Amino acid sequence: MRPFKAFRFLSCWYLLLLIAVPFPAFAQDKYPSRPIDFIVPWGPGGGSDQTARELGKLLEPELHVSVPIINTPGATGNVGMTKFLTSPADGYTICILAWDTYALLATNRPQWSVKDFVPLGIVIQLPSGFYVAGDRFANWQAVEQAARVRPLKVAISGFGSPDEITTNFLISKGLKLNAVPFAKPGERYSVLLGGHVDLLYSPAGNIKSFVDSKQMRPIIFFSKKRLSEFPAIPTSKELGYDITLPQRRAILVKAGTDPAKVALLSEAIRKAVATPQYKAFLKESVAVPDSYLPTKATETVMRSDLQNMERIVRATAKK
Amino acid sequence: MFDILHSLAAGFIHVLAPVNLAALAVGLVVGMLVAVLPGLTLVMGVVLALPFTYGMSVTPSIILLTAMYVSGTYGGAITSILFRIPGEPMDVPLLWDGYSMAHVGRPAEALGWTLFAAVTGGFITATIMVTLALPFAKVALTFDAPEYFAIVLFGFTSVVALDNGSLGNAFISLLLGMLISAVGVDQIYGVARFTYGTDMLNGGIGYLPVMVGAYGLGEVLARLEQGFASPPLLGDGKVSTRIPSLAEAWKLRATFARSSLVGVLCGIVPGAGATIASFVSYGIEGQYCRRRDRLGSGIPEGIVAPQVASTASVGGHMVPLLTLGIPGSGATAVILGAFLLHGIQPGPQIFQTQPLLVYTIFASVFVGVIGMGLLGYFAIRPLIKVLYLPEAIVSVFVVMFCLIGAYSEHNDVSDLWMIVVFGVVGYLFERWRFPIAPMVLGCILGPVAEGALMTTMISYHNDWTVFFTRPVSAAAMALTAVALLYPAIRGLRRRRSVAAAAS
Repeated sequence: MRPFKAFRFLSCWYLLLLIAVPFPAFAQDKYPSRPIDFIVPWGPGGGSDQTARELGKLLEPELHVSVPIINTPGATGNVGMTKFLTSPADGYTICILAWDTYALLATNRPQWSVKDFVPLGIVIQLPSGFYVAGDRFANWQAVEQAARVRPLKVAISGFGSPDEITTNFLISKGLKLNAVPFAKPGERYSVLLGGHVDLLYSPAGNIKSFVDSKQMRPIIFFSKKRLSEFPAIPTSKELGYDITLPQRRAILVKAGTDPAKVALLSEAIRKAVATPQYKAFLKESVAVPDSYLPTKATETVMRSDLQNMERIVRATAKK
Repeated sequence: MFDILHSLAAGFIHVLAPVNLAALAVGLVVGMLVAVLPGLTLVMGVVLALPFTYGMSVTPSIILLTAMYVSGTYGGAITSILFRIPGEPMDVPLLWDGYSMAHVGRPAEALGWTLFAAVTGGFITATIMVTLALPFAKVALTFDAPEYFAIVLFGFTSVVALDNGSLGNAFISLLLGMLISAVGVDQIYGVARFTYGTDMLNGGIGYLPVMVGAYGLGEVLARLEQGFASPPLLGDGKVSTRIPSLAEAWKLRATFARSSLVGVLCGIVPGAGATIASFVSYGIEGQYCRRRDRLGSGIPEGIVAPQVASTASVGGHMVPLLTLGIPGSGATAVILGAFLLHGIQPGPQIFQTQPLLVYTIFASVFVGVIGMGLLGYFAIRPLIKVLYLPEAIVSVFVVMFCLIGAYSEHNDVSDLWMIVVFGVVGYLFERWRFPIAPMVLGCILGPVAEGALMTTMISYHNDWTVFFTRPVSAAAMALTAVALLYPAIRGLRRRRSVAAAAS
C-alpha cells in the first residue's frame, strides 16, 4: 500500500507538470479522462485545505482519475477564485469556496458573482463561536457586562469575513467590541492565550486541542441548536441574538460546464461524503454530522446566507 | 534535570531505530535539496513531503519533517556563497559577507564558517529546547502586534549595517521593495492597490519572484552579457570545506551567543521565524560586533550571525508548537498537521501523555544536527563540481530551477512573468551598482511590518505611543533609533576629523 501511495503521489505531480504545458485538445469520448484540478484558495494546512485533501482523496476512486490539490492563497480567497474562474468550463477544474470568501459578496464586492459558478454541494458546515482564555469570564452574561463598560478586543481572521459581520452585529446590539484582524491562525491563538485580546472568533474544530487542554473555553456558539460536543454552552439563538453564520464550504464548478459532467461530479461528491472516512473527518473537525447538501439545497442556502449577510451588513452599517 | 536526561536517553535509543533513522536521513537530504533550489521554498518542500507521511506512523513522520526543517535552514547558504543566489529568503544576509569572502578566493573558509555556524546554532537550540521548553513557551505569549512591528522595523536596519556604498541608494531600494510589496489586494481591508484592474497584479507580487528574479535570473543575465566568460570564481581549484579552528571560533563567541539568542527568540514568537531572525541578527552585528566597520566586506561575523540565527530558530519554533500547540511558521503548521493526522494534539499535556514521542523528537534534532554537519561536509564536494561545468550550461539549469520553484509556490504562470521582469530589474541594478538586497528585504519584511502596524492601530485605537510604552517594543524601537543614528553620527565625526587634519 505504502509504495503504491508514494507512486500515485509522484504520478500526480508528473501529470500536473504535463498539463501545465499547453495541452492539445484531442477528442475525448470519456469524462473524466485526465486529472481534475482541485483549487484551494488558501494555504496548505488550513481548514479549507484539510477538507479538500480529505475529499480529493475520496473522490479519486469515484472518478478513476487523480484529483491533485492546487493551493493558491491570497486576498481572502480572491486569488484562487480568479484562477478558478479564468480556467476553461470543461469540468477539469473544481474549487472549494469557504464562506470567508463568499462573505466578500456582501462586504467587499469582488469581481466575480454567484452567476459565475455552479455549486456541486456544501461538504462541511462548522458552527462558530466566541472563545475565552482559561478561566476568564464565567459565562456569556459576564462578557456582556464587561463589554458594556469597556471595549473588549475580539481576534478575527480578517475584515469582510463572517467573523467581522458577527462582531459588528453584536456591536449594533450595544456591546462594545473591537475586532482586530490576525490573518495567521498561530498569531490569533497566541494573542488570546497571552491575554492581548479578550475573545476569539473561531469554528470549533480548528482549536479543538486548546479546548481539550483547557487553555481555551467556548462561551457562546452562533447557531440555532446546542452542539452535542458542548451541551453546556448556550447558542446565540437562545440568548436572543438573531445571528447564525456557520463556516460552510462548498465545491464549485464553472458556470457553463456541460450538465452531464456537473451531474457526474455531484454524484461523485455525494458518494465521497457518505464514506465512513469522511464521516470520521467531520467528527474530528467538530462539524455538523449531516453537513452535506446537494446542489439544489446548496443554492437555496447560498442565496439565503447572502441575503442574511447583506441584511446584517446594511443594518450594522448605519451605526 | 535527571528526569529530562533519562527521557532524552530513551529518546536517543528510539531515534536510532532503523525506521526513525531512515526517516531522519531522508529528511535531511530532501531538506537540503529543497533549500539549495532557489525558488522552491522550505515550506513548500515540507508541504510536498506531508502526503508521504500519511502511511507512516507518527514518530518517523514528525522526525522526517523536523529533519527537513533543520537541514533546510542550512542548504541555501551554499548557493548564496558560491553562486550568489539565495536558496531561501533567510539566506539573503549570507550574500553580503559570505559571497564577498568567496569572491576574494576564500570560498572554503566561507563554507566552513556556515557549516560550523549551522551545527553550533543547531546544538544550542536543541539544548535550549530540551531544558527550557516550558519556561520559554511563556515568552511566545507576551508578544502582541506592537512587538512584531518593532522587531520587524529593527530588521530593516540590517540595510544600514551594510555600509558598502551609498546609504541613500540603500533606502531608495528598500522603499522600492516596500512599494512592490504593497501591490495587490491589501491584507487588512481588502482594497486593491496599484493593480490597474489586472488579474495578474490583483494577487500581489510575492517576495519569491522578486528574490529569485533579481538574484537568480539577474545574475544569469549579467553573465550572459559577458558571454559567459567570467573568470571562474575559484581559480585554485582547491575548494572544499575548511572548518574553522576552535580558537578562531572562540574569538567570535559573542557573535555566536547574540545570534543564537536572537534565533531562538525569533523562533518562539509566532509569525517571526528564520528569515526575520537572520536579518535581525545581522542588524545586531552591525551595532555590537567589534569589527562592525568591516561588516559586509567578507568577515566571518557576517556569515556566522545569520546562519546561527536561522538554524537556532528551528528549536524556537518547536517550543510553542509542542508546548502550546501554536504553529509559528508555515513549516511548523505543516508539522502540526502531521501530528493531528495521527490523532495527537500537541499542547501542555503532550509531555505527560506522549513523553517518549516528545523526547524522541528532541533527540532527533540533536542527531539531525550531526547528520546535517556530515551531509554538508560531504555534499559540498560534488556541489562544487558544478562550478567547473561550462557557465552557460549551469545558467540554463539555474533558470530552469528558478522557474519551476516559483511556479510550484502558487501554480500560477503570472509568477513566471514576474521573475522575468525582476530578472531584468536585478540585472539593471547590478549594472548601475544599485543595491539589490534592500529591495528584496523590503519585499520580504514590508508586508509583515504593514500588517503588524495596521493591527496595532486597530487594536490600540490609533494610539502610536504603545510602541514606546510596552517594554519589549520600546527596547526594539530604541535599538532601531541607535542603528539609524549611529552611521549619521559616525559620518559627522569622520568629516570633522578630516577637517581637523586638513587645518
